Amino acid sequence: MPLEDDLTTAAANGDTARVESLLQTGAQVNGLNRFGRTAVQVMMMGSSSVAQVLLKHGADPNVADPRTGSTPLHDAARTGFLDTVRLLVEYTADPEATDNTNCRPVDVAKDNGHADVVAFLESL
Amino acid sequence: MAHATSIQYEPVAEIGGGAYGTVYKARDTESGQFVALKSVRVQTDQNGLPVSTVREVALLRRLEQFDHPNVVRLMDVCATKRSDQETKVTLVFEHVDQDLKTYLERAPAPGLSPERIKDLMKQLLCGLAFLHTNRVMHRDLKPENILVTSQGQVKLADFGLARIYSCHMALTPVVVTLWYRPPEVLLQSSYATPVDIWSTGCIFAEMFRRKPLFCGDSEVDQLGKIFDVVGLPPEEEWPTDVTLSRKNFPPLLPRPITDVVPEINGQGAQLLQKMLTFDPLKRISALNALEHPYFQDEETLTQTKS
Repeated sequence: MPLEDDLTTAAANGDTARVESLLQTGAQVNGLNRFGRTAVQVMMMGSSSVAQVLLKHGADPNVADPRTGSTPLHDAARTGFLDTVRLLVEYTADPEATDNTNCRPVDVAKDNGHADVVAFLESL
Repeated sequence: MAHATSIQYEPVAEIGGGAYGTVYKARDTESGQFVALKSVRVQTDQNGLPVSTVREVALLRRLEQFDHPNVVRLMDVCATKRSDQETKVTLVFEHVDQDLKTYLERAPAPGLSPERIKDLMKQLLCGLAFLHTNRVMHRDLKPENILVTSQGQVKLADFGLARIYSCHMALTPVVVTLWYRPPEVLLQSSYATPVDIWSTGCIFAEMFRRKPLFCGDSEVDQLGKIFDVVGLPPEEEWPTDVTLSRKNFPPLLPRPITDVVPEINGQGAQLLQKMLTFDPLKRISALNALEHPYFQDEETLTQTKS
């Protein structure tokens, strides 16, 4: 599935324009790349514009990493990007999802000292 | 060197390919964090890895002991034997989920505040001064490999790899951007630490402009665009060992830097000019740039005056 590999690469590099054009040329937004991951799982978490485009095109925000159980919301919370955290929640990411160590996104944000993300997730 | 990359670090996406090998975004399954895996294939003989590779890796590990806040962490180095003749060396770096390109794009109009730009520049130059003090050149600084954490901390990535790669470069043509390259590299004359200062100057200008400063589509075009702003250098500054003649370019005079970066203040413009100096020997160093009055806040300036 070369298109999906291109899509995950563009998403991971925060290349919004390329993500959009690949989706227009038929890349499946929830398609797996050769590592078994979707674009929203591997996107550059700091790029809220990539997150926005993927979610608008129907990316599933609740798909968990097969090895660690991390969801995109866990990863956005871990890295502390509040804009992306908000977007994921807006597009129905589950704030109560737990990873393989039984941590919720808010726990991961706390461990990494992202007070703004913690405050937002606790306010839900 | 550890031998268990595939178990602890699981690739999730390819994020870069180059002449030298592939770069992956991967997950460290122990910590749950994302990391960047950079691999290079090296030829081995009966003595094992080439001395040059071992030396470069040792240098990167030595740098790591300083724990500098403005360079990415080198977390691990792994060697995997592919055959009797080839070994894959994988460097595991900290991965930061935002680069300066994205950071600049995200900033709402009219762009970053002058204070934010000053802070980013200070961190960038601190990281660079640290590398240069340890005799490491970056050689390919651009917004894509200047990382910015969600807390606004700048971390340089992809440094020190150029030499490892160039020893084992496969002959595959790669498209690399010319926009941040200094004249001496475009002219194929010399490569030393001032190279990185030129790139930093281009990035400094871009922080204000929110678009790249010199966007050439070939080496000659890139030089033309540079001279369009900094002027055609005098004959005596033109390197003697290069094939491209100064006569190929129109005799342009330098323009005030504020023509192309109107938002910059006086001290900033002066520093930028010192970074975008044609002659690499006359270009400001990272350490001297940090001492420039641009970085002294108003208070300090008033105190010195009184």
